[in-house]
Amino acid sequence: MRLLTHNMLASNVRGATTGYPLTLEATNWCTKEVELNSDFIRGLLPKIDWRALVAATRAVGLPELLPEEQPPEEEIFADGAADVEGSAIRRIHHALLEVHVQEGSLVCPDTSRCFPINKGIPNMMLHEDEV
Amino acid sequence: MEAATMAWTAAVVGAGLVYWFVWVMGAAEVKGKRAVDLKMGSITRDKVQDKYTQYWSFFRRPKETATTAASAEKVPAFVDTFYNLVTDIYEWGWGQSFHFSPSLPGRSHRDATRVHEERVADLLGARPGHRLLDVGCGVGGPMRAIAAHSGSDVVGITINEYQVKRARAHNRKAGLDSPRCEVVCGNFLSMPFPDASFDGAYSIEATCHAPRLQDVYGEVYRVLKPGRLYVSYEWVTTPLYHAEDPGHVECVHGIERGDALPGLRRQDEIAAIAKEAGFEVLKEQDLALPPALPWWTRLKMGRIAYWRNSIVVRVLTLLRIAPKGVSEVHEMLYETAQHLTRGGETGIFTPMHMVLLRKPPAAASTEEEAK
Repeated sequence: MRLLTHNMLASNVRGATTGYPLTLEATNWCTKEVELNSDFIRGLLPKIDWRALVAATRAVGLPELLPEEQPPEEEIFADGAADVEGSAIRRIHHALLEVHVQEGSLVCPDTSRCFPINKGIPNMMLHEDEV
Repeated sequence: MEAATMAWTAAVVGAGLVYWFVWVMGAAEVKGKRAVDLKMGSITRDKVQDKYTQYWSFFRRPKETATTAASAEKVPAFVDTFYNLVTDIYEWGWGQSFHFSPSLPGRSHRDATRVHEERVADLLGARPGHRLLDVGCGVGGPMRAIAAHSGSDVVGITINEYQVKRARAHNRKAGLDSPRCEVVCGNFLSMPFPDASFDGAYSIEATCHAPRLQDVYGEVYRVLKPGRLYVSYEWVTTPLYHAEDPGHVECVHGIERGDALPGLRRQDEIAAIAKEAGFEVLKEQDLALPPALPWWTRLKMGRIAYWRNSIVVRVLTLLRIAPKGVSEVHEMLYETAQHLTRGGETGIFTPMHMVLLRKPPAAASTEEEAK
């Protein structure tokens, strides 16, 4: 499960007020290199909840990867930024697309309901009494 | 020497027969999985027979009891069981898109399927930068076609964890891995997505599994952004269906039983249910009507292919390559094909009643006022 997927998931369990963002508890994760595509990141960024993404990077032991506040677009997409090691766009790309959570759980912030992540697949099925 | 020659001859003839059986006779149908890879989804081998018996006994009940509260609550579990049992056989016979499409003159089933899927993207006005929701995505055939055709990203939800794995594997092979195509294991009656998070949504012959269509439409409405569109291909009975005709009832009940449906909706109910959920109905059309060619022709390849597949499955079971119960599942699917074909020929049933719905743009201000 990429952190991008975590960013789009919410808990819909009965009793949840917003159910978002889910607290990520990662017990096993890895990184897989993906070629950076600036246009793709540009199109994706407006859909990302930044605070949820930062919290997720901390959950996988990368507390320094992203700043608390989203950097300005001029900085992220500056000319040549994609080729600079450690640039904002490289960090964002790494966080969203290269980190994979293999085992762990997603916890509803309102009800503490745990959704298990097994072999990279979060199971968001609710029990009958939770719908 | 004589004995050895005979043994070798028998082996070669046997291999030739198997080759002819599977690859020549089955060339048109063998897509996706190979016959020897039948694993019956995530159910362990020894449980296939039990799961099949349990499934069948549930759906053998009269329709009236199937819709009571207690039975309706079991539907998600049985839909999950159903797709565990049939996913591998479906892929073997259908490819990766578990749905019908109008036949097109001079075009293959594969092409017709693709056109049917791409129509969804066109109706939604999908384009790069959009994130679409696939409600009940199966192993993701439509998702990949729509993502490739429109440039949109697609997030699919399926109740079956085995299908999530299959879908993701196919996505990787197609070069459409997350985030182009992502699959989530969940129930479309209670989706794990925030409000107003999708630019469009579609379902292809999936909402028929919902005990109450209102519930799935309500969920799609919630997760759709204001002003955005939802397309659904629905399984419904048409006005030609008469509940007092025993032949019609048997046919429809056979479809429900064979496809894990809690009950087929009537065509004229769909728009009312959508409006109840808050949608505007922009378009309604039975895509099965002429000039479309019959959607059920692909089921009629039938008897020889069934006999061939049946023998392959039974031999594989005998050799313990395929677990017990696969033959029964295969036979059930064949019976269901007969009911579907009859439903199509008589015109009492269609799997492609298309509705194009829109969440009103004003929904945003309503929500803001509520907060």
